[in-house]
Amino acid sequence: MTRRREWSAARLLPTVTTLVLAVFSVLPLRFPDYAAVAPLLALAGVFYWTIYRPDLLPPIAVFLCGITLDLLSGAPLGVAALVFLLTRVVVLPQRHFFVDRLFPFVWGGFTLLAAAAIAFLWLLGSFFAGVLLDMRAATLQWVLTVASFPAVAYLLMRVQRAFVPSA
Amino acid sequence: MRLAVPIKTIGQRFALPILIFASIVMVVLGKADTLLFERIRIVFADAVSPMLAAVSQPVAAVDRLVDRAQGAFALYSENAQLRQDNARLLQWQHVAQGLSVENARLRELLKLAPDPSVSFVSTRVIANSGGSFVRSVLVDAGSREGLARGQAAITGAGLVGRVTEVGDRAARVLLLTDRNSSVPVAVDGSRERAMLVGDNSDRPRLRYLPARSTVKIGDRLVTSGDGGVFPPGLPIGVVVDIDDGALRVEPYAQLSRLDYLRIVNYGLAGVLPQPVAPRAAKASRGIRESLTHEPAP
Repeated sequence: MTRRREWSAARLLPTVTTLVLAVFSVLPLRFPDYAAVAPLLALAGVFYWTIYRPDLLPPIAVFLCGITLDLLSGAPLGVAALVFLLTRVVVLPQRHFFVDRLFPFVWGGFTLLAAAAIAFLWLLGSFFAGVLLDMRAATLQWVLTVASFPAVAYLLMRVQRAFVPSA
Repeated sequence: MRLAVPIKTIGQRFALPILIFASIVMVVLGKADTLLFERIRIVFADAVSPMLAAVSQPVAAVDRLVDRAQGAFALYSENAQLRQDNARLLQWQHVAQGLSVENARLRELLKLAPDPSVSFVSTRVIANSGGSFVRSVLVDAGSREGLARGQAAITGAGLVGRVTEVGDRAARVLLLTDRNSSVPVAVDGSRERAMLVGDNSDRPRLRYLPARSTVKIGDRLVTSGDGGVFPPGLPIGVVVDIDDGALRVEPYAQLSRLDYLRIVNYGLAGVLPQPVAPRAAKASRGIRESLTHEPAP
């Protein structure tokens, strides 16, 4: 009975870790001008789990993580949810290219995805604002998001190896 | 069982498109009807604020440590600088005391109504947000502490923004740099009026200046008090740049490095918030207020 409970709790880990990443990305770190360019950590979570365990991060969990990030960040509700769901749409058919590849290949894939996601957010933000927004902030956000990916992926990999049952 | 399997697969197949559609609907609805979503947001912020406060505590501690280490390195030069500043400020103190006495006398002569007294609530920033959409922070105080929509948020350096969403124990402060922020300002000295309008960049723009304005780089800006949103005379920032005819303003408050904020309780004329008031009644009133009060112009 206890084994079964552990089993089901571990299956929630992809959702929980992605939520934790969402919370981390809104923490008030006091680096100069950090808030405007804070990395989209939760995007790395969605990307990672969609590649390695898409069954444990189903669309509804992706949606909830996005909504949580929107609620925390004060962005229009549904924006991050939309981006995360589209991430799943794009990444899921390609996941077999990534699953057994070396890390730099996965990182390269994330670089492209983050560029698309942040460009999409920037366009949507510009549409909401009615003017083209400052592109430098979005570019820097992309750089930081990509730069933080190895650390995030390493932590998620440790979590996966330690706790998440293999498929 | 034979029925359940197809239903499950249909559910799995259509979950993604349905959720994508739901997200799009939310984005569109959010643009049209912000009140409902604002309420959802602040109820959520209320629920997670204790968690955010706890998690941001170690982050703040590390920040303080880094600050302290930096301070230790710069001790000597900073000390020399502070001595100089101190000497200069002492002179200013004499001047200010003289002016304050003179001001009080002149006010008496003119029978001017005294400025309403102001109370503060100090609160900690527990989350901040950027990206392409907003420049706002979440603070660790709400209607329980007497916060209300429209109150000014300041640091020792100057104005930071205004309270836009108030929950029971958390509130969101819209920063000067947000594209939805516009603050009536006056140029210190010439008293020219203008609006300080954010555009999600670090430096908000000065707009709606009078036609023959004499504003130049280096001019100080303070709140004008027009519209009754902010008390007049709060320092805001300094004009730093003119590009394409747009005047850019550098706020005095370091908006990217906020830790503690003071929320100015301007309208209450010195009545201190009562922390032991019945919570439920206060909370529902807080939400009602945040629903009925339109943002001031």
